[in-house]
Amino acid sequence: MHLGKFVLVRATQIIITFFIILSLLFILFRVAPGDPASLVIDPQMTPEDVEETRAIFGLDKPLYQQYLIYVKNFIQGEFGSSFYYGKPVLEVIAEKLPNTILLFTTSIILSAFAGISWGKVIAWRRGSLLDSSVTVVGLVSHTLFLPWIALLLVWIFAYWVNWFPLTGMITPELWVDPDTGTVRKVLDVLHHMVLPLSVLFTIHFGGFMLIMRSSMLETLKEDYIVTARAKGLTERQIRERHAAKNAALPVVTSVGLSLAFSINGGAITETIFSWPGIGRELVFSVSNSDYPLAQIAFLLIAALVLVANLVVDVLYAYLDPRIKY
Amino acid sequence: MLEIRNLTLHYGTTKGMVQAVDKVSLSLDRGESVGLVGESGCGKTSVAMAIMKLMPPNAVIMGGKILFKGENILLKDDEEIRGIRWKEISMVFQAAMNALNPVISVGDQIIEAIQAHNEVSESEAWEKVKELYTLVGLDPGRGKSYPHEYSGGMKQRAIIAMSLACSPDLIIADEPTTALDVIMQDQIIQEIVALQDRSDMAMIYISHDISVIAETCGKTGVMYAGKIVEYADTDSLFYDTLHPYTKALLSSYPSIKGEVKRLNPIPGEPPNLLNPPVGCRFYPRCPEREGICNSQEPEYLEVRDGHFVACHLVKRAKGGGRAR
Amino acid sequence: MKEYLTRERDKDWLEDMAGREFKTGLGGKWDRWVKGFLGHWEIFRKNKLGLFGLALFIVFAAMALLSYIPPLIDPMYEPMTGVDPDILWTQGPTKAHWLGTDFIGRDILSQLLVGARIAFLVGITAAFMAVAIGTSMGLISGYLGKRVDMILMRVADIIMVMPGLLVILILSAVIGKLSVWNLVIIIGLLRWASVARVIRSQTLSLRERPYVQAAIISGASKGRIIFRHIGPNVLPLSFLYMTFGVTTAILVEAALAFLGFGDPGTVSWGMMLQWVWKTGNMFRAPYWLLPPGICISLITLSFYLIGRALDEVVNPRLRQR
Repeated sequence: MHLGKFVLVRATQIIITFFIILSLLFILFRVAPGDPASLVIDPQMTPEDVEETRAIFGLDKPLYQQYLIYVKNFIQGEFGSSFYYGKPVLEVIAEKLPNTILLFTTSIILSAFAGISWGKVIAWRRGSLLDSSVTVVGLVSHTLFLPWIALLLVWIFAYWVNWFPLTGMITPELWVDPDTGTVRKVLDVLHHMVLPLSVLFTIHFGGFMLIMRSSMLETLKEDYIVTARAKGLTERQIRERHAAKNAALPVVTSVGLSLAFSINGGAITETIFSWPGIGRELVFSVSNSDYPLAQIAFLLIAALVLVANLVVDVLYAYLDPRIKY
Repeated sequence: MLEIRNLTLHYGTTKGMVQAVDKVSLSLDRGESVGLVGESGCGKTSVAMAIMKLMPPNAVIMGGKILFKGENILLKDDEEIRGIRWKEISMVFQAAMNALNPVISVGDQIIEAIQAHNEVSESEAWEKVKELYTLVGLDPGRGKSYPHEYSGGMKQRAIIAMSLACSPDLIIADEPTTALDVIMQDQIIQEIVALQDRSDMAMIYISHDISVIAETCGKTGVMYAGKIVEYADTDSLFYDTLHPYTKALLSSYPSIKGEVKRLNPIPGEPPNLLNPPVGCRFYPRCPEREGICNSQEPEYLEVRDGHFVACHLVKRAKGGGRAR
Repeated sequence: MKEYLTRERDKDWLEDMAGREFKTGLGGKWDRWVKGFLGHWEIFRKNKLGLFGLALFIVFAAMALLSYIPPLIDPMYEPMTGVDPDILWTQGPTKAHWLGTDFIGRDILSQLLVGARIAFLVGITAAFMAVAIGTSMGLISGYLGKRVDMILMRVADIIMVMPGLLVILILSAVIGKLSVWNLVIIIGLLRWASVARVIRSQTLSLRERPYVQAAIISGASKGRIIFRHIGPNVLPLSFLYMTFGVTTAILVEAALAFLGFGDPGTVSWGMMLQWVWKTGNMFRAPYWLLPPGICISLITLSFYLIGRALDEVVNPRLRQR
């Protein structure tokens, strides 16, 4: 009903934003020095392939027509072929996208929940030892340098004690063996996911927790908390039902605002752990000058961030009855 | 039923102890209504909060007792207080304040109050909510709406409804109509009076508006700078006003009837309660002051039957009085 | 009327300073300025964490200044090119090399010191750019409203949605390797958006204040109102955002260098991490792995804590009672 309309309006907005980003990318690649053709034409292609590619991308036509073809190609999923993989870009990303989504969404959800729970508890006990120590932990973890903490974790947990694998998402031998059950496969992925997830969690938890804490402290000054206490509710009820519900709202907003930043961290983490996701593909394709893949990887990540923003917005509207839609 | 004896309450701040309430005493029986009048900051809300032990963390009770049904509230532990709150003493807040939680529906907030003290199912509680709404003049179907969807007058009625939810013995109304326009104010006051008449409820009505108290309360206490300066049944207070401050309060009100006169505000400001003066706290602004008023604090004495005043001049004129 | 039109200041600090005699002998304006500064310092001082952040800041500033010294002692201490002729691979701390050497025999401590210098340069310049542009845009957008506001904020929104690091990656795909100064400019051009948004809301509320309305009525030009009246009042907020901007700039530079997209001619902490990682010495050389990471994290922490303490100065509501 109303929520549906809100979703529709926001969805339209992000589609427009996405197309603006798409266009900006087009302009960027065309104004860059060098022959624009080199952006889609692999030096190793055969002359026939070159011709075919020229035709698909309309490289001989005037600029505005190229743009239209560009957009059309994108919508149809015609992304060209990756120089590095020699496969259509679409295939490459279809493999990698789910992995990124898995890692990214899990880390955001976990750190948001943990941040909210802890922030709530320590704000309630402001000034206590628990408060001071967890706040310090939050501050420090929030400012740690992600690649460094990733390297450290790998060194300690994968190298020294060898509890977790160094890299990758799966153990190939396990998956190739036809006898391995699904449960084992899932556990295998989870096993590989622990370290990258820990890195992302560490970085994000601190920020969310600190925001929840200050939001909670603000909320506790509100009059309706006095009302709740006057009604004879237990401290626990007041904290959960009245304070936390209100205090969590700014945290949701901040999750939305930090999504772009988080995906940066996600890309770096994927690279360090060789987690086969789109972030890593972007980094590699840029180093390899694999332009078709780089473009699409970037666009897809942008799309991911936009969609995530949409989800957060809708969630916020759902949680706060004061939002009108 | 309720007896406050010599309640003294200070607030700890970074600048020192603010002596917000000093030896305040009053009493209330079943079905009685007492009004507490005074300027902002005179301590009336602090007294109200103390009755329900809702003081902020930096409040320190320096002395006195609050006897509710014979037991000292100040000595009760958390669990006992929680049982008393709302079920035996409830409070009506200003609607202008954020007294209602914006993310929970109003009906749910009332149900919360009911279920905290009664073993009832949710549907039974909803029935009660509808009853209460009808009682205060609200549409019973609006229970599921959120506070921001109510107008100011509706919110106030909802808050009143909420305060009645557990049929308490005592209701403390803290400036319940201050945020409303005069027409709504009048309506609400009428309803409060009607509700009180119908039931056995005692009421403490707090306001800075003495005219409102005149309409609603049987007894009135005038507070100034943390002390009660005059306390009597309302008629006596108005027709036989004794304390200079009360006199000044009454005369600072414009009258709709009668001739057009200049307004008579009371010059000056209330004293700084961080370091209250030695003598009478009203001394600097009192039009009738004398030397003794500056050096000695006036005693709180019963100079007539049921009529208490704290003033040297009154004491002298009436030939002394009985201490409380 | 002229008194009324002069800039309104946050009066809190004046009250804090009330009762204190202070004269610089330079005249009223200087007195007020110094008093203001001291007032702010009083508030800042109360925040223990802020002081800790400041202490760290001083340590790093010292490092940055000291970075000029090692090459003067001996050319082998040159961070980029100086190679100890006796050592050809990575080795642990020794008397000659307090933190050891990297994989081609360069001194790690010198690199660390230079890294501090780069961090400050990059951080402060990029943040300054972002804040300068962002504040101007925010002021203009907030004050002029309507069309200008809508367009500017749409642009800002789009910029804010894009993950900065990855944008820079794509840019470097097209432009080629980025020099440090290119990087600084690009960071500045990306970060202004979030600053602008905040300044804009501040401007919107300040716009309604009486002294601004008075200025409008008395016929002051738009530019004058924006920059002489509203501007100085948003400056504390700008300054606050600059501290946060420094942290992100440093982090972005470090991350890029780490991934291999940094300026190959500059030694930064991120670059050091890249070397230790890519040359496979990660597990063998803690003296090489740990210091740069600790430095990046600590300098980020330092600016962040200072920022939080400044937040209390700027935002009276946050102060401890």
